[in-house]
Amino acid sequence: MEAISAKWLGKTYLVAVKDPGLAGTLRHFFRRRYKRIEAVKNVSFDIGEGEVVGFLGPNGAGKTTTLKMLTGLIYPSAGQVKVLGHVPFERRPEFLKKITLVMGNKQQLIWDLPVLDSLKINAAVYEIPDAEARRRIGAFAEMLDLEEVLKQPVRKLSLGQRMKAELMAALLHHPKLLFLDEPTLGLDVNAQVSVRAFLKAYRSQHRATILLTSHYMADIAALAERVLVIHHGELIFDGPLRLLVARFAPYREVSLEFDAQISRDALAAYGEVEALEGQKARLLVRREKLTETVRNLLAEFPVRDLTVSEPPVEDVIAKVFTAGRVA
Amino acid sequence: MRWLLKKAAVLLSTYHAYMLEYRGEILFWLLSGITPFFFMAVWMEAAGQGYTEISTDQYARYFFFVFLTRQLSLVWVSWNLSESIRTGTLSFRLLQPLDPLWHHLADHVAERGVRVPLMVPIFIVFTLLYPGTLTWPGWERALLGLVAVALAFLTNFFASYILGLLALWFEDAVELSEVWNVLITFFSGMLAPLSLYPETVQKVLAWTPFPYLVYLPSALWSGMPVAAGWPLVILLGWTLLFYLVSRGLWRLGLKHYSAMGA
Repeated sequence: MEAISAKWLGKTYLVAVKDPGLAGTLRHFFRRRYKRIEAVKNVSFDIGEGEVVGFLGPNGAGKTTTLKMLTGLIYPSAGQVKVLGHVPFERRPEFLKKITLVMGNKQQLIWDLPVLDSLKINAAVYEIPDAEARRRIGAFAEMLDLEEVLKQPVRKLSLGQRMKAELMAALLHHPKLLFLDEPTLGLDVNAQVSVRAFLKAYRSQHRATILLTSHYMADIAALAERVLVIHHGELIFDGPLRLLVARFAPYREVSLEFDAQISRDALAAYGEVEALEGQKARLLVRREKLTETVRNLLAEFPVRDLTVSEPPVEDVIAKVFTAGRVA
Repeated sequence: MRWLLKKAAVLLSTYHAYMLEYRGEILFWLLSGITPFFFMAVWMEAAGQGYTEISTDQYARYFFFVFLTRQLSLVWVSWNLSESIRTGTLSFRLLQPLDPLWHHLADHVAERGVRVPLMVPIFIVFTLLYPGTLTWPGWERALLGLVAVALAFLTNFFASYILGLLALWFEDAVELSEVWNVLITFFSGMLAPLSLYPETVQKVLAWTPFPYLVYLPSALWSGMPVAAGWPLVILLGWTLLFYLVSRGLWRLGLKHYSAMGA
């Protein structure tokens, strides 16, 4: 069974347009003008139960709008969507009990009260018996290393602790489908790693489906098997991350360390020189020419060390966004 | 039913703890609501000079209960709701299997649990300044007054909820709450007992919710001549009307929700 099925999904916003200054304000008051903004256009995809899918796109591409339609927060302007067999916008309790949404830039915890108070409310709202709620809180707190801070007011927590506590609150009812919108936003590397590990463990324990947006490619690379890329409201790629990288980055990065200084011009004949500092250089070489180029480099230059690596996924995605298509 | 009670108990206890964090702010808000005592002083002076038929003690009693009624029926839900719509924080509540209305209602009811104890010193000062003025109105009037003040609170709450929901259509409509408050000030009996208003004005006001929001409970508690039965039915009618309108607007308005900032 599909966890999510979206067909020709679209969302158009009417946005009031107002010129600056007093004249603009008066005109706006008497004759309001609107601009139609197509945030999402004809987006179709299916996500199977248990899949972890990364949702990528630059700011304003339509990721969050799509997530809002899938969770039932906003009403689609066009198309059909079914999530766990439900029409999301009807927001039936049996649907809401199976999903969750985590937003890295928003919080549901009550700011001035200890984390436990917000968890208590969620346990009651989702009708989780006291003993079971205590068991789940204990298990999550242990996994997220939060035991010591559950009785502290939310405002006293660090950003990393707060995000972990948000995850606890969002997952207390053991949802089958997780919508994660930038769950590691602003966290340091350690906290990011810990959140990723927690999500992986949750997914394997509960066979949950996850749709995840993140600007940190490490999140996507660590969690997602498949990615959807959206650009200007349109879906431009749907497939495995490695396929996206292979299609859009037909290069390998060759890092070199020489015994002597080498000129940029001499290296340029072998590939695109990304960096040259002292006796160290980085070249981008087309994959099909990699073996031949490495052989020639070793033959022509006094190479002390040589490594070949994939270009960073961030760079690949940046190129996809710049081009706006996946060729 | 068990879960309904459990949810109510958890929401009330948690929001009570939350409101306790704001006890200082609530105290200042409480003190800003003592205007009925200024009107009391004016009307007691007038009564002392024989300008009205109501005695000075009756005025003191009436305005004390005006103060109490207002404190028990204050609402601010339009601000919270409008803010949550404009900033998108309503989204978290929409994703839970509990209508956000219950959170707001629990928040208001729990706040009374902090506000009422803070009113005790005002009660003590009042009884010291005006000894013997506050008399027991009898069980019937006390209970009817409690019913009236509970309905007045709910009417205010749903009216305010409607104003907050307008943020789903307009950029910000919360200032309309000020209009509602001005109407309450002039037409609910806060400036003077409504029995002193011209008869025509009283007849017109009887068709509005305002006389029942302050005058009815205050008159019942202070022992002034007022009929309880029919006015309570009318007040219940207004409560139901505002409730139904708020539910209707909620259903219609959610299609306009854009979850901005979320």
